[in-house]
Amino acid sequence: MSHSVMIIDDEKIVGDMAKLSLEQDGYEVETFLSGEAALARLSEKKFDVVVTDLKMKGIDGLEVLRTVKRFYPETVVIMITAFAHLDVAIEALRDNVHDFFPKPVKIKELKQSIRKALGEG
Amino acid sequence: MRELIKKITALLPGRAEPSPQRLDLKELFHLFQAVLTNNNQALSIITDLGEKLSGNYIFDTKYLQEAHRELTGAIEASLANFTLLTGGQYQIAPAFTRINSLVSLMLAGQGEAGAELTLPLARLPWDRGREVGGKNFHLAELKNTLNLPIPDGFAITSRAFDEFIRHNHLQEAITSLGDSPAEGELAALRQTIRAGEPPPGLKEGIERAVAELLARQGRKLRLAVRSSAEEEDDLFSFAGQFETVLNVPPTGEAVGAAYRTVLASLFAPGAVEYQRRLGYRPGTIKMPVGCLAMIEATASGVMYTADPVSGDREQIIINGAWGYGPSVVDGATDPDLYRIAKGEPPRLLATTCGQKRIMSVLDPALGIKNVATPEEQRARPCLSPEQALTLAGWGQAIEAYFKGPQDVEWSLGQKGRLHLLQARPLTVEGGETPAGPAPDGGCPLLMRDTGLVVRRGIAAGKAFVVRHSSDLDAFPKGAVLVAEHDSPQFVRVLPYVSAIITDIGALASHMASVCREFKIPTLVNTGQATSLIRHGQEITLECDDEGKSLVYDGLAPEVIARRPPSGAGMEELFEFRRKKYILRYISPLNLVNPLVEEFSPERCRTLHDVLRFLHEKSIQQIIDSARAPKAKGQVFQLALTVPVTIRLVDLGGGVAAGTGPKIDQEQVASRPLAAILKGLTTPGAWRTGQVAMSARDLLSGIARAQELTASGGVDNFAGISRDYVNLGLRFGYHFNLIDSYCCEQAANNHLYFRFVGGAADLTKRSRRLQMMELVLAEYGFMSKSKGDLLIARVSHLEQDELLRLLEMAGRLIAFTRQLDAELVNQEDIDLYAKRFLAGDF
Repeated sequence: MSHSVMIIDDEKIVGDMAKLSLEQDGYEVETFLSGEAALARLSEKKFDVVVTDLKMKGIDGLEVLRTVKRFYPETVVIMITAFAHLDVAIEALRDNVHDFFPKPVKIKELKQSIRKALGEG
Repeated sequence: MRELIKKITALLPGRAEPSPQRLDLKELFHLFQAVLTNNNQALSIITDLGEKLSGNYIFDTKYLQEAHRELTGAIEASLANFTLLTGGQYQIAPAFTRINSLVSLMLAGQGEAGAELTLPLARLPWDRGREVGGKNFHLAELKNTLNLPIPDGFAITSRAFDEFIRHNHLQEAITSLGDSPAEGELAALRQTIRAGEPPPGLKEGIERAVAELLARQGRKLRLAVRSSAEEEDDLFSFAGQFETVLNVPPTGEAVGAAYRTVLASLFAPGAVEYQRRLGYRPGTIKMPVGCLAMIEATASGVMYTADPVSGDREQIIINGAWGYGPSVVDGATDPDLYRIAKGEPPRLLATTCGQKRIMSVLDPALGIKNVATPEEQRARPCLSPEQALTLAGWGQAIEAYFKGPQDVEWSLGQKGRLHLLQARPLTVEGGETPAGPAPDGGCPLLMRDTGLVVRRGIAAGKAFVVRHSSDLDAFPKGAVLVAEHDSPQFVRVLPYVSAIITDIGALASHMASVCREFKIPTLVNTGQATSLIRHGQEITLECDDEGKSLVYDGLAPEVIARRPPSGAGMEELFEFRRKKYILRYISPLNLVNPLVEEFSPERCRTLHDVLRFLHEKSIQQIIDSARAPKAKGQVFQLALTVPVTIRLVDLGGGVAAGTGPKIDQEQVASRPLAAILKGLTTPGAWRTGQVAMSARDLLSGIARAQELTASGGVDNFAGISRDYVNLGLRFGYHFNLIDSYCCEQAANNHLYFRFVGGAADLTKRSRRLQMMELVLAEYGFMSKSKGDLLIARVSHLEQDELLRLLEMAGRLIAFTRQLDAELVNQEDIDLYAKRFLAGDF
């Protein structure tokens, strides 16, 4: 069975690009434009990986991370952001983020990170 | 008088910049270095943008905005230094502003700003391409830049489209269309558009443009009214998606009706499906239209500037048939095929005369119709070898200009004149070639190597035989489409099609273009598909890029296992394409050769061009300034082992520390000068032999000496720094100039070489220049010469390579001293060039 990946970013192009590239590798991908919509979906369906933007209006990436870790601890969270500030990265790491990428994200590296998170080497 | 003019111009506004003459060489040199630094910063941002938008990165708008802000800053800084350096003599700032505002507009997601509803193609400025759509723009470029023959005509702009939609209150109907609108909804919308009213000014605009066209073309004029949607013929061909109305009478009314027909075709089911696949919601794409004078065609066809199946970029393929183009592009006829090897001149490799059973002719009622080709015409090729080669030559130029393989439509007029009707990028297969098919699929073979491979690949599924276009409504997902003819109608179901096999069809049809775009394995012209394959039969198709094909009866598991994973490209994402579009105004380099007149601000089309212009003109400025130096730097006398003394002005790091006013070759720390000196003093290179001068040479020499003195040249002077040299060497009657920046960063480096004069008569002097040009060409220089003046240059070379060329230039200067008088015969040019290159001094 293929693994499921959720992408959350308030800009459509980010989700579209991530979806297109990850589907090529056989992942099942759903994209969301806000933290709110993503958390609502998470309450219906289990995802193996969540890739989320950090800075978003309303529920931001850190809040997504905390919620996921609290309610769906097996789901891996990867953070991406245009503001690659070290302090935020540290805060996220403390909260068990699996990986952290500044945008633009190299697709190859994102894929590697996801494979590693899923124990696919 | 001259003084007076100077005083007046000094008082004029806009002349506030310090004139470069007021700055000394050292100050100018610092400005020059600052331009280089700013340019490098800008170029590295451009490189980064190209990489991040290559499809290998996920980026957001913020990144683009930030990168653009930095890029603008770097270019502005470069411009400021450049203006100081050159005293504001070049009008480059407006060009920069114009291009950069286009980039800003696109980043902000806004379109074009033009107010015109119609625009003539013949005078279309390059930066208004988006207003007329891709197809019109490419056509205009063929004429306006490449000077190739296209039909006379005009465009109805995207602004007109917007106004039409607004005027007829269509916006709501369009936005309420869902992602997959029902055919009934679309039919109603098309009907409303066809019955629509022109917005204010459009009727008059079309009437005026048609009247002008009529005045130029005469009473026999008929028009072709064609779609030219926003991205059409750009990244995606939209081949055959939209309506073209042919044979339109030259009246405002008829053109207006044809215009509405073309607009309506945006909402044809097939076109909507195609747009949806490219990420467009129905109604988001704009539709400019082209209105062109029709060529009375005796023959028409399509040229590919590469083999789209094998990916061979060294060949050009031309398809053609009698009459008008539709028979070829609709795949209805079996056309002639010309295979041509690229080159100067191109070479005809093979001509295959097709059956050409069908031809398209004009019809007063239908516009155009297909009829049987008269028997006596069928066996005759429709193009002469010369005509095919002419087309191929044009094809090479178009491919070079648009920087990629092209799909070009052509037409042969009544008087044997060729015209180009369209040029668009050709999808060419490349790289990852799967192993060729071998009949080991474990199933019986139905067909082997019959027909033409349009798109390679492997596919399997149930055959769905299409007899009528209405059959398409029931097309099941994943089936193999089998049909008698290929047809652009099939696009409607392409998302569900796993492969296509037809009895008749051509490489150059619209359907073929779309199949390549969507990577659908396609085999056409098999002659027997519909008779061998039953409706509902399970089959497997395998074709490779050498044109080999196999069709198996059944689902062949071993073949299917060889199928490579599908690789959908980022290019299929609409937003990605839209963002990537800005690179067109940033990255490509159009100003290539600084030795030609086109090197002007008006010719700058991209930010890269602007940077190139700043770089080249900065070099020019520093060369000119160094020739008449107001030097403040430290001055040295350099004595060499050959009888030459050079006055050196050190602009920083050019001379080893702690040396006195008189130095020798060892103490030169300027790397480019040291390389030149090494060449100049190469044992044997310095010509010392007695020269036999004729009386004519002597007389000519005296006159030349006066000219050179009058021109005020400074004898044997060099301005140097560690990485820079500007060296002027005067030997008797001729003058050598080398200007070179030579550092670790290839982007900064250049070598400019100038040679003028000589004592011998003009014939001999020009022989010397020809000899030098031969040598310099051998080393990869671009050069031009006139009379006894030679200018040659190279740039952007790695430091080691440039040092090698500088040393060679030193040797060449030594070797060609007094050589003119020895070049008695024309044959000597080649002889001496060979001797020099062989090191036989």
